[in-house]
Amino acid sequence: MKNLNLILAGVFFTLAASFGGLLLSGQVQLGQLHRAPAEEGGPLFPAKEPGLAIQGREVYLSLGCVTCHTQQVRPAGQGNDIARGWASRPSVARDYVLQSQVLLGNRRLGPDLVNYGARVKSDDEVHTHLRTSMPGSVMPAYGFLYTQSKDGSFRPTEDAVALVAYLKSLKIDYSSPEAKLKQ
Amino acid sequence: MSQDYSSRGSVSRIDASISVPVRTFIFSSLLWLLVASVLSLIVALKLQVPSFLGECPWFTYGRIETLQRNAFIYGWASNALFALNLWIMSSLARFELKSSWLPVLGGIVWNLTLTYGLIQVLLGQLNGFALLEMPKEVAPAMVVAFLFAALWPAVAFARRPTGNVFVSQWYIIGATFVFPVITVVAQLMLLWCPTLGVMQALVHSWFYQNLILLWLGGSALSAVYYFVAKESGRTISAYYLATVGFWTLFLFASWTGPATLLGGPIPVWLQSVGVVAALLMLVPTVITAVNIFGTLAPRNGIAQAWNNTTLRFVLVGAISFTLSALLNIVFSTRSLNALVRFTPFGQAQEHLAIYSFVSMVIFGAAYYILPRLTGSFWPSAKLVHLHFWSCAAGSLLFVVAGLTQGWAAHGRTDFAVSALPGLLAASLLLVGHFAFALNALGMLAADKAPSNRRSY
Repeated sequence: MKNLNLILAGVFFTLAASFGGLLLSGQVQLGQLHRAPAEEGGPLFPAKEPGLAIQGREVYLSLGCVTCHTQQVRPAGQGNDIARGWASRPSVARDYVLQSQVLLGNRRLGPDLVNYGARVKSDDEVHTHLRTSMPGSVMPAYGFLYTQSKDGSFRPTEDAVALVAYLKSLKIDYSSPEAKLKQ
Repeated sequence: MSQDYSSRGSVSRIDASISVPVRTFIFSSLLWLLVASVLSLIVALKLQVPSFLGECPWFTYGRIETLQRNAFIYGWASNALFALNLWIMSSLARFELKSSWLPVLGGIVWNLTLTYGLIQVLLGQLNGFALLEMPKEVAPAMVVAFLFAALWPAVAFARRPTGNVFVSQWYIIGATFVFPVITVVAQLMLLWCPTLGVMQALVHSWFYQNLILLWLGGSALSAVYYFVAKESGRTISAYYLATVGFWTLFLFASWTGPATLLGGPIPVWLQSVGVVAALLMLVPTVITAVNIFGTLAPRNGIAQAWNNTTLRFVLVGAISFTLSALLNIVFSTRSLNALVRFTPFGQAQEHLAIYSFVSMVIFGAAYYILPRLTGSFWPSAKLVHLHFWSCAAGSLLFVVAGLTQGWAAHGRTDFAVSALPGLLAASLLLVGHFAFALNALGMLAADKAPSNRRSY
């Protein structure tokens, strides 16, 4: 352990081993994942995202929403995500294949959002949630996403419209080969 | 505390040769520490009053926390570790740095790049990968700056006149090698040519664990070994195990990434590999504990360490390292992980590693290095006490906050009340850091002409 090259070679090996074992073999398994039908000949899922939702993801990223919200539902037995009603099936790798940036998140100061689009009823509900602070919630009002017109009504900015389109596009309300929806 | 933070009154040739870069790094790290502490107070306030600074998109919780994390890791801890690694390696390898402008240049580029990146984050250019949030053009510049700033310990090691090698030197070499490699790989696979789907999460977990455990943790462990041996005047107990500790840390830590994604949408076998690696971390954890506490425990050594400013900080750091490593092992098991995953308790665990361990060790080292570098005394012993006690109390309170907030996340008790310990902790740390910065800046300012005090 007195030779610089030996130490460097050893450390390089440890990194290379984990790189190969985790990332390369992960890539072999996950790199070829595509959209798939739940049953032979059915439509492909996950569905393509609407353009506005793709723009909304940029807003989501830019505001740092991922700091407090995850986008993953763990299987029953590993946490109580499904029991809390966040989704009716766990999220699987295939759900994310179309996303340019995967925002799994690792902290929940707020609820999980992977199936948020299926939980909310209307655009207005989301806008109200963003514009005002809900009682008992630690999430602040994002008032700067709205402008107030002369008659006192609030108009969403472009960012708010895109963000709401994105949030509403977050759905795992379909079966995938790996995880069937519970009937 | 005894007055051991006094100095010899003169600066050795080796210290004089690295004085400018080490001062540059320490000065920058102090500024970033203050920035990060103010930001973390804002974060804690936002949990009490969510609407605080809520009128403007610049100050969303997500952006402020991102700024805080990056300022703390890259601004404070990394700058300080550049200084520590260079100083410890030069002192062990009897190395006199000839071209000290190179690391200074590296440090300046590093800090300017970081500042640019953080301004972009403030303006809304951020992505979702923790510690890679800054715009993608920032990361290559930081890797280049890192090479200029941090490569010198390896040069010192290669050119050392003596054949003797101490465990600290391995850790410095290893940690310095890890950072550029993982950063380049992670940038390529996440920002420049993004991998598909959840592979991104996997790559990120690999990067993140290596960064925290090996770059920050490895560098800090080097300082722990160095100062425990140096200041206690004892040989490291069971020193033959230290090699095993070093290699097992580097081998297992870099596989622990998937253990931070338990229950996530990644293949189960990868999660299991991560869990196994996380459990195997018990080996280096036990070995470092045997080395460090085995050295300090006999013959009233803990009490002696407590009376020595440097060792008191390092001791708290070493205890926090062992504790955080044990918590990571325990909470990597699936059933326990399900309880704490996504809750603020996970954050408290991380805080234990990057604050109570890494930062406390850096503080202890600074109390040893700065007097030798400047040839002057610490201006105020009271501030040293204030620093230690507010930071120690703040560290403890952060863990308490993790528990209370985690409890609130499960039990739906009032969140703001449960976050109060966090606010108190952030305030205490801010006080402690101001005390430290005041003392250290006073020292750096009092000694503007180090060349006059060299003793040959």
